[in-house]
Amino acid sequence: MIGPFRAIGIAVIALSIPVSGQWLKYKTPGIPRTASGDADLKAAAPKTPDGKPDLSGIWRGDPGGYGLNVAADLKPNEIQPWAEKLYKERLEDLGKDSPSYRCMPQIGPYVVFGMFKILQTPSVIGFHSEFNGFRQVLTDGRPLPEDPNPTWMGYSVGHWDGDTLVVESAGFNDKTWLDAGHPHSEDLRVTERFHRKDFGHMDLKMTFSDPKVYSRTFSMDVELELVPDTEVLEYVCNENEQSVKHFVITEEDRKQNRSNVKVAPELLAKYTGIYEMQNPEDPKGKPISLWILTEGDELLTQMNGAGPKIPLAAQSDTTFTVLGGTVRFFTDDHGAVTHFTMQAVEGDFKVLRKGDLPK
Amino acid sequence: MKTITVLIVAASIASAQWLDFPTPGVPRMADGKPNLTAPAPKTADGKPDLSGIWVTKAGYTGNIARDLKPGELSFQPWASEVYKHRQETQGKDDPQAYCVLSGVPREHVVPYPFKILNTNGMIVILYEALHSYRQIYLDGRKLPKDPNPTWMGYSVGHWDGDTLVVESSGFVDNNWLDNGGHMGTEAMKLTERFHRRDYGHIDLQITVDDPKAYTKPWTVKLEFTATPDTDLIEYVCDENEKDLKHLVGK
Repeated sequence: MIGPFRAIGIAVIALSIPVSGQWLKYKTPGIPRTASGDADLKAAAPKTPDGKPDLSGIWRGDPGGYGLNVAADLKPNEIQPWAEKLYKERLEDLGKDSPSYRCMPQIGPYVVFGMFKILQTPSVIGFHSEFNGFRQVLTDGRPLPEDPNPTWMGYSVGHWDGDTLVVESAGFNDKTWLDAGHPHSEDLRVTERFHRKDFGHMDLKMTFSDPKVYSRTFSMDVELELVPDTEVLEYVCNENEQSVKHFVITEEDRKQNRSNVKVAPELLAKYTGIYEMQNPEDPKGKPISLWILTEGDELLTQMNGAGPKIPLAAQSDTTFTVLGGTVRFFTDDHGAVTHFTMQAVEGDFKVLRKGDLPK
Repeated sequence: MKTITVLIVAASIASAQWLDFPTPGVPRMADGKPNLTAPAPKTADGKPDLSGIWVTKAGYTGNIARDLKPGELSFQPWASEVYKHRQETQGKDDPQAYCVLSGVPREHVVPYPFKILNTNGMIVILYEALHSYRQIYLDGRKLPKDPNPTWMGYSVGHWDGDTLVVESSGFVDNNWLDNGGHMGTEAMKLTERFHRRDYGHIDLQITVDDPKAYTKPWTVKLEFTATPDTDLIEYVCDENEKDLKHLVGK
């Protein structure tokens, strides 16, 4: 099976939160709990016997809009033209050539997107992902090798800066995609700073440097959440693989994905607002908030009002596409927008309009 | 991908190319070489520390049961037929040839290094082969009654003196225990006894109890050797895959 990660349009943002609910409900031993028996996610961060913060546990991270556009904070002239052109082509092709759809690994730092388990020992920190196998961060004091053999996941070494684990990685091949289509060269360097704020929360800043493709460094901030009382599942990408032969894009598809249907500005303005949906895999969790906004004559969406804005391509007055996923707006009898639907493999998700954008 | 001889040769060439960063904290002899007969290390709580990079003793890749005497391994009739078929068709249906996981215990007979990470509540084994990992819980939990079948199975461990005893179940129904095609089914229960007898060696005893495939349990012995001053290299089974069309058997 080909993985669900980054599958289709915004649907992915919601669905990159994986199938945690199916696995065993075994209570994680030795973790702080509240009076009701739930994990106390606000308890203090644990330490290892040598006094370092202990990052061990099962965690979940979500790149938000950066998963579609890692370079969203860069200006167009800060990206090599060939790279930007390649990105646009890959978007129009709905990522059909993505290596991860062919069971290739992503760069090591991306194991944090989805569910993963950290196991910390003094000389190596192991990251164990559901879809990306394992990643080692070597903390035995070695420097990054000067000319490592290029690999998919790269070579990673870590050291402590106070209570922050700093991981530096190099030695990547140039085949992986950094998001829905941005390329990188073998000169890519990634620096990650992990800071476990309390038992249940860890801040991660991921910074990319690749001067051959991007004229300055760029970063994304990710909030990792601890997921107690569950397990990482076995993920075998190749087993009974039936998907790749269906990855076919026609000229008609491409045309649709770069649609230039014009929608009247006053209609676009009606669609703006704050929308919410409940992740069907996590019915008790925090709802996912999607902002719909306009810039010029373009409609865009943004996760929680922060990070990259992803354009919606108009197909008609009410229908838009994002990376092949279809978004359709609905109104009540009085013409007020009530919700939109998002198409995904599992069916349509309903996203309710909760209110206006802040002024 | 498969093909036994090529695999063995390729594995040794590939690891030689890798970094030879000296592993810190390894006991060494006067000439700087690792002292593999130094005492086995202990963790802070006094248990043997199985950590390190290991390679299994050669010779068991094609037949995990090669040391057994006739009659010690006794197939159920259907399993005997399947084994014969796999031998005659040169393993062309081997799931590993399709980049599905090797699984347990096969990861311990193939000639790829693996790294054991040992912490308080858990041991994780990182396998170079197929870039996979296996978890062994040491937190006192029992084996689940009806686990979701997986290639790696579900493993819990406890210490019997200086020996780590790992019990596993929850395996898939079409497990291959070696490249030759000894099978494991969903009924398989494994008991593994890991004993690090000195710095450089782990003795492993595996008992396969799978009444669906075999008329009685059988036990084999393997040995791992420590390989310090190197590391696992990335193994991406699918990359530039050209073999499958040639796997036609006889």
